[in-house]
Amino acid sequence: MPARHKLLSLWLLLSGVTFFAGLLCAAWLDSQIQPTGNLRLIIWGVSLASGLLIFLLGFVLEARLMRPLRHLQVQVARMAANPDAQDDYPPEGWLETLQPDLNQLRQGWRQDRALLADARIQGAKDAARIRQELEALLQVLKLPLLLCDQHQRLLLFNPAAEKLFAENPALGLGRRLEELLPAPSLIDALQNLPKDGSPRQLLLPHRNRWFLCDLRRVVASQGEALLMLEDTTERQQSDMRWRKPLSTLLPALRGHAANLATAGELLSNGGTTAELNQRLQLAMQEDSQALSGLISELAQLLEALHLDQGQLTDTWSNDLWQALTPSLSQQEISLTPIGIPLWVRADTPSLLGLLQKVIQLLQQVTNKKDFEAEIQLGNNRVYLDLIWQGQPLHLKQLKEWSELPLANEEISPKLGDILRRHSSDWWSLADLDQNFARLRMPLPAATRVYPPLPTIEARPEFHDFSIADLPPPTNELGQLALNQLELVVFDTETTGLELRKGDKIISIGACRIINGRLLAQEVFDQKVNPGRAIPPASTKIHGLVDADVEKSPPISVVLPRFREFVGNGVLVAHNAAFDLLAVTLEGAEAGIEFTMPVLDTLLLSRGLDENLEGHGLDALAKRFQLTFPPNTRHTALGDARVTAELLLTLLSRLEARGITTLEAALELQNTVMHNKKS
Amino acid sequence: MAKVLVVDDEPNIVLSLEFLMQQAGFDVTTALDGESAMALVTENPPDLVLLDISLPGISGFEVLEQLRSQESFKRLPIVMLTAHGREVEREKGLALGADDYITKPFSTRQLVEKVQALLNESSQGLQED
Repeated sequence: MPARHKLLSLWLLLSGVTFFAGLLCAAWLDSQIQPTGNLRLIIWGVSLASGLLIFLLGFVLEARLMRPLRHLQVQVARMAANPDAQDDYPPEGWLETLQPDLNQLRQGWRQDRALLADARIQGAKDAARIRQELEALLQVLKLPLLLCDQHQRLLLFNPAAEKLFAENPALGLGRRLEELLPAPSLIDALQNLPKDGSPRQLLLPHRNRWFLCDLRRVVASQGEALLMLEDTTERQQSDMRWRKPLSTLLPALRGHAANLATAGELLSNGGTTAELNQRLQLAMQEDSQALSGLISELAQLLEALHLDQGQLTDTWSNDLWQALTPSLSQQEISLTPIGIPLWVRADTPSLLGLLQKVIQLLQQVTNKKDFEAEIQLGNNRVYLDLIWQGQPLHLKQLKEWSELPLANEEISPKLGDILRRHSSDWWSLADLDQNFARLRMPLPAATRVYPPLPTIEARPEFHDFSIADLPPPTNELGQLALNQLELVVFDTETTGLELRKGDKIISIGACRIINGRLLAQEVFDQKVNPGRAIPPASTKIHGLVDADVEKSPPISVVLPRFREFVGNGVLVAHNAAFDLLAVTLEGAEAGIEFTMPVLDTLLLSRGLDENLEGHGLDALAKRFQLTFPPNTRHTALGDARVTAELLLTLLSRLEARGITTLEAALELQNTVMHNKKS
Repeated sequence: MAKVLVVDDEPNIVLSLEFLMQQAGFDVTTALDGESAMALVTENPPDLVLLDISLPGISGFEVLEQLRSQESFKRLPIVMLTAHGREVEREKGLALGADDYITKPFSTRQLVEKVQALLNESSQGLQED
């Protein structure tokens, strides 16, 4: 029972007992003395006054002292957490005189904080400039880069690396490299890198792909290592595609050619019998037919090899048209893409140059300003068609165009060269309706089918060099300082509260705190198809209906990804018992364990302010004036973020009470739980 | 006797094809470039043309295009017979109106069978008209 409630009970009890004792005393005196008039009034008045007096004194104490003390406690806690918080509770009652002193304390506290912030801003200015330059460089660099500290924790990754590991939630600042690339050879190589910065190369497997990794120690550092990655899967597969057939084709070709040469020699030497002549002729016929077949195979192989080894990359057709639009608009030419967009393999810069030039030429020849562009899927090829109203072009015209240079420079390739680079040619044909004509260029088709993923927005947080200052990762997590822990704050939304009776997770949201800083972009946000209907009662809380989750993956897919996201972090949740039970129950079926320590902001808040009431997330968010975007509360990620903000607020206050390590925080939680039970 | 025009710039191939077609019972004329092929087709229209792509002057593709642009030769069977074996060239030949596209080296037996089949189809088409 909170102390306030105990005090309240004691006061009521004391008032009641005194009042009734006075009542009994007055009744006894009345019966013994049988007073009359004023004496009787005095006896009754005096006997009952003590009870009433205690009752009234309690009221006065509550109004003048107890309530002001509680308000002061909230105000002081709020100030400690957030010096800029509003002053909703000025000292009142008998504490009113504290107002000037409190104001002075608050003002001093704010000034100190402001001065500290200014100093930090001032000191960080130069660093920020250097950082901006570095970021600009890293943003445009196409080479995927990772930088890790001596404990293999990620300090930096660039957008190219983010793209390379787009499907891997283990990419994150402060995360261990072995979670991202779990190859023993890599960890071994990192530990034995030459100190002079000379590079080492490794071929690393990563989810059915092969990355060529160039790694080197950063010279004059504290053991940081730089990794440059290249996805070589395609190159290796391409090698395999032609090496093997070529190694069987060449001996076969040699064999048949040798047979032909021998037979020809025997025949030209003369002296053979008619029967032998006939047999030799038959053999030559068979060998020449076999040679024809092998040459065709060789030709196909060489064509495939030419396409594989060129500068061709997968290009989304809509990107081609989009890239052409600005320059064509300047010339008042309209190009309307029609049909279904497809992937093609193209040397995009030169193909764009060719298309731009050809559309200009078409405009001059046809006198049209409006063209259509269509990509159609052919047999192993994609037809790129430019369409206009009118007649098809003659081959003579196209032959002339093939000889035109792409630009005026001497070294510029001819249009025909660009077509050959794509193993292509062009011709013109009329549409069946004879109203429209098209210029057709077949291009190699790409194996990809689905539209490109939306471009990943450049993220502001892709490096944090302060991670290198953190203590080494250790099994003795308990001894680590709270503000140096890797914390994963999470929340779940479920179909109901009866987890043991079949209620299921429908959404998991999580965010990460590294080095006492909430990373804005490093989040896990995934809806889950629970495989059962969402009751309307729970929809009222989180707003999710069946249609919102029906296309989401099941928990068996989501939970392993969430576990990967958590990595070696310490879990945090508000009322963690519920959320932990939710993931543990579901995890038990998939063999996924959550055995790491868990911090609970509800228990920590109770431990800090045991005399205050209201430790729900909403009440605490209000008390500490935590801000969050509208409509994000009661979403898994929204609540996880508020919980993270709350935890950061509590950390400084825990520290002020000497609770600085994970072990101490867990002990406080245990004490709160124990007190609650008892 | 059906008339076959062989157009190729390689005299050795022309010689072999001429011999092969004569053996199969066709009346054969030959041309070594695109211009003379066009002249021969106009003077003495053949029943079928075996046409190479790489020719001096106008290319085999252009000869094909010019022939197909004339109403009287729209249905003349034309077989492209060429060392250009890339898929795109085959597609281009067929798109411009060739009836078949055969790459060198080729089987003589299959070539003769193909020529006979095309001539049969052509004569049937004419009879139906």
